[in-house]
Amino acid sequence: MDFRDTMQKVYSWACQIGNLGLWIIWLLIHFAVDLWYFALHIACAIESYLISSGILKRYKALDIDKLRYLAIVIESEEAYHIPAVIQLLQWLVDIGVKHVCLYDAEGILKKSKESILGKLNNATLFEEAGESNLLLDHKHITLEFASFPDGKEAVAKAANLLFMKYVKLGGSGKIQEEKIFTEAHMSEALRAVGCKGPEPDLLFVYGPVRCHLGFPAWRIRYTEIVHMGRLKSMRYGSLLKAIYKFTMVRQNYGS
Amino acid sequence: MISSLSPQPLIKPNTGTTLSPIPHVQNQRFKLASHVCPSELLSIRKRPGSACAATTQHRRYLLFPAEEEEEEREVKFTSDAPALAEELQRESMPRHVAVIMDGNRRWAHLRGLPVGSGYEAGVKSLKTLVELCCKWGIRVLTVFAFSSDNWFRPEVEVEFLMSLLESGVKEEKESFIRERIRISVIGDTSKLPKRLEELVINVVETTKNNTRFQLIVAVSYSGQYDLVQACQRIAMKVKDGLIEPNDVSESLIEQELETNCTEFPYPDLLIRTSGELRISNFMLWQLAYTELFFSQSLWPDFGEAEFLEALKSFQQRRRHYGSGGVSSEFANSCYVVYIELFFAQSPRPDFSEAEFLES
Repeated sequence: MDFRDTMQKVYSWACQIGNLGLWIIWLLIHFAVDLWYFALHIACAIESYLISSGILKRYKALDIDKLRYLAIVIESEEAYHIPAVIQLLQWLVDIGVKHVCLYDAEGILKKSKESILGKLNNATLFEEAGESNLLLDHKHITLEFASFPDGKEAVAKAANLLFMKYVKLGGSGKIQEEKIFTEAHMSEALRAVGCKGPEPDLLFVYGPVRCHLGFPAWRIRYTEIVHMGRLKSMRYGSLLKAIYKFTMVRQNYGS
Repeated sequence: MISSLSPQPLIKPNTGTTLSPIPHVQNQRFKLASHVCPSELLSIRKRPGSACAATTQHRRYLLFPAEEEEEEREVKFTSDAPALAEELQRESMPRHVAVIMDGNRRWAHLRGLPVGSGYEAGVKSLKTLVELCCKWGIRVLTVFAFSSDNWFRPEVEVEFLMSLLESGVKEEKESFIRERIRISVIGDTSKLPKRLEELVINVVETTKNNTRFQLIVAVSYSGQYDLVQACQRIAMKVKDGLIEPNDVSESLIEQELETNCTEFPYPDLLIRTSGELRISNFMLWQLAYTELFFSQSLWPDFGEAEFLEALKSFQQRRRHYGSGGVSSEFANSCYVVYIELFFAQSPRPDFSEAEFLES
């Protein structure tokens, strides 16, 4: 029995030492992975600083005119961080972006429209900017606010408009349907129901998931989509780099 | 038009709300200590993100045999292809993957080859992808083979593509039937050469009852066209008095989209190759909550390793609202090690009560 007890004690010590060893290994793995991501984070921060301070000269020669319309999709939980949104918009104004569409699925940004416009001295609503205001000065920006109903619901409303027209014309036969329901007519109908924004050239997604969260689908046929990470981790340098990369892209549009 | 030719869906169309993202199950694996030998507790296992290059090379060799065999190689679904890669979680696999097969011409240009060689190489990549999808339990694969904008390409190139499509469908028809793969085609097929259009109708009809796997080929397709044709179909129902104009809703439009030929019309994952960051008028309505993965590889170079990378990225990224970013990725990638260690500390079931209390 003494021998058995002794063996059990030895076994128990061995297990405890083994467990301690496993904990140390786990801590080392944790440390190594943290170190790796820390190094990546530092590298990104340094690059961002170099871009922001203008040390990396190529980002100075940014042809911002190529970016006619920018869309920003923000995941709804992050859209509550209005100060961060305002900071982002301020950076875009500094870069020279003239027209921005802000989108979040639940319409939080729409509800905060007044607050955002109030904080930005030189911003107007896209709908209020007439033809004469399209040639804005460098530090002015138009903002469009969109949410999920401006996507699929708007297409359904636009389709209803076309159906009313179809019924009025006493539609019958395939030819009639094909004449009324065309892509051009759908675009017109969407404008008629209030979705007047143009197709963005570039779309930034801020949030944990890499999808556009229901941004009006009709408008993103050829839009470049870039996932920027979390809004709280946004950096001016990353923003500038992403816009610069876009200006270097050449699209074939399928041909 | 394809709308009059597409087979009736076998399953009732998805009429659920479009707001719900497809839930993603986080990578969680629990291993009971009773099932683990003591020696295993002290070993660190490979986890997602640590694929062995040699293993990957070996797998690539299995899927890409000697060059002289490739010409005659049909789609094979034997046990030669590997089972689910150990880095992937079966429960978190996407049900529907969509692919924009971009980069064939650039691939050929980089090698000093004619454009046709790029497309032929692309066909081989597609065969590989279909094999892998079948083996790894992906139910639907949609590929963007030819866009409505592609009609503006040089006529010679378009003719080549049409002939390639025709020969590809003819060659693989028997294997699709044998392997119970359903083929569906979406897009405006009325613009296709007559012979190809008839072949497409025939293959779609012949394979419509197959249930193992579905390959949807988008030919002469555009996302805006898909929406417009859905409206045209609804208009016919309005004309027939089946629907009031004001009753048209999003769900009604969804039911009439061409992608409703499948049980899973919304892709979980979209892969675009060649480094371009756009969806190019592909499945505009359906991609609202689809994870977008932009691969730097050109399409002919997109093989098992690249597909694995896309799937791992899909599985590691959170698909639901909540925390994310670096800390989440770290947690996912090391979670199993942590759990194994945790259970290593827990008392094993064969401990006596006294031992348990003592530990």
